[in-house]
Amino acid sequence: MPLAGSLDIRPLVDGAPEVVLDDHELKVDDVDILQVLYEIRVDDREALVPPALNPTIPLVISFLVYRAKESVYGPFALAQLRLTARSGVRPRCYLISARCDNPELAEVLAGSWGFRVSPGEISLRRFHDRVDCSVHEDGRLILQTSLVDPVPVTGHDVQYPPGMHLARVTRDGVLKPRIVQVDSEYVFRRADRGRPELTHFDRQAWGDARLVPDIPVSASFAACDLTIANVRYICNPDIPASEGTEKVSDA
Amino acid sequence: MEFGIFMELSVPRPWTADSERQVYENALEQVRLADELGFDYVWAVEHHFLEEYSHCSGPDIFLSACAAQTKRIRVGHGVIPCVPQYQSPIRVAERAAVLDIISGGRLELGTGRSATWPELSGFNADPDETKKTWDEFVRVIPKMWTQERFSWDGRMFSMPERAILPKPLQKPHPPMWVAVTSPGTEVDAADRGLGCLGLSPGGFADSEKKVLNYRKRIEVCDPVGAFVNDKVLTVNFLSCNEDGDLGRRNGLKVASMFSYMAAQLLSAKEVLPTHSYPSEGLLPALRRESGSPGDAAKSFKGVTMGTPDDVADAITAWENVGFDGINFIHQFMEVIPQQYVLDSMRLFAEEVMPRFKTGTTTGSAAAAGRPVPAGVA
Repeated sequence: MPLAGSLDIRPLVDGAPEVVLDDHELKVDDVDILQVLYEIRVDDREALVPPALNPTIPLVISFLVYRAKESVYGPFALAQLRLTARSGVRPRCYLISARCDNPELAEVLAGSWGFRVSPGEISLRRFHDRVDCSVHEDGRLILQTSLVDPVPVTGHDVQYPPGMHLARVTRDGVLKPRIVQVDSEYVFRRADRGRPELTHFDRQAWGDARLVPDIPVSASFAACDLTIANVRYICNPDIPASEGTEKVSDA
Repeated sequence: MEFGIFMELSVPRPWTADSERQVYENALEQVRLADELGFDYVWAVEHHFLEEYSHCSGPDIFLSACAAQTKRIRVGHGVIPCVPQYQSPIRVAERAAVLDIISGGRLELGTGRSATWPELSGFNADPDETKKTWDEFVRVIPKMWTQERFSWDGRMFSMPERAILPKPLQKPHPPMWVAVTSPGTEVDAADRGLGCLGLSPGGFADSEKKVLNYRKRIEVCDPVGAFVNDKVLTVNFLSCNEDGDLGRRNGLKVASMFSYMAAQLLSAKEVLPTHSYPSEGLLPALRRESGSPGDAAKSFKGVTMGTPDDVADAITAWENVGFDGINFIHQFMEVIPQQYVLDSMRLFAEEVMPRFKTGTTTGSAAAAGRPVPAGVA
């Protein structure tokens, strides 16, 4: 059988967002998205994801950064650190942590989709020869990454697997740990890819010191319209997703 | 119809000192039986670094053992990655020729280009280049086999004039194939006069359209080799038992495990934005078709599982689509007992195979292929 996750979620549950399942969806037009992927070097792959998920071979971390000049919550930038995984046979990314520069939106992202998000200052700047991103927390640099030498590709070439967010969800009147599946839709206006560059990554600040970037994989930049759909699936983090997935909405 | 068995050589955890040996022993026992029963082909994949999923990184050595332990079955690379970081085309031509000689002229050479990130990145290969390097490989290999001395000044590699030795036993050379997973590769196969080694079962309508297109185009192809191999083979999961429920249950175990394990691998397409891989290859297609261990067990149309009649009905349907044969995945991750696998093969050979075999057994595919007019190759 494939390697199954063995991450002990108990230390993470207290800090996990409390999600209220509703029909909330978020539509944002004209979002810039930078994704930078690196293989990581790790001895114990299974220990990085909950038992519900399977680690991929190899494991890849994704820095996924959104920037929107406007939304119903105002302009925002959101930076996520995710880890490639599988939910049964489905490609997914397990969210380690996120930073957002819009407090109102951060509260919504946590309460509706289980984003483990904290405040941060995020810069995403696109040039013709590169795209640069930096993230600061309390004035301290915690991420600096870039896409170098962009060349056009199509939106079909770019993939952002759904997120799997550890959260607390009320089931049968009791607050229980659950992984919330976050499905997003993207309508691409343009897309580029390029060489990834990672000049600073504070692993501890992002929540898991074991994530040591090793081999650069790819970087992409896209401009698109984004919809974060309402939550349709949650799963019990302690058992394989193929057994512990619950459908909570048909929409 | 022709029938083959397809070997991934998957090794389930927990691994012991003996795990891999046992999988190889089981596989060789299946090959010996397949030979006795009249199966036409044994195909071995070439994969690297794919933990559990496939420990078949030296297929020519495995196929050499198959050839040594059998008399008639044809031994096929299914497929050799035509990526220079994996191996030089010179080494492919040389080693394939050796295998053809020691097998008594029973080699089939399947070609492909890899689709997984662990493999491509493990060899530091550029996924954007693999279509191009595959094309150069398939053009030069038959020349290396047929020209007394060969030189090349190409995009991927160059070499001064040398005699590439030995030459294959089959004349003019062994049949060549290409793995067809991405949309449009059947067109590449047809245009180059290569056999179509289907690795991904699709729906009947879609398959029929692809086969028809292949047949039409290969009639006017410009072959890369000295003859046209115009066969089209597909792949399926085999589990044949008098108890149809047991047959389907065990077949679905294999199919589900295959799909589940394949899904754990990172495809090149998933992590690298590239035009070079329009689909994610073999794996997602099979994943869709065969479901997952979490799904309720269910069969899908055209699957070769169940009683001999069930299996024969499915084969008839694929034959009507236009396929010349089917290669079977009949074991994966040792999820069903070896004895069941062997019994399933025997029952298939006794009850099903004769319904689709007419006349003599398959001879050299090269001999059956369409010759190329002098001066074309």
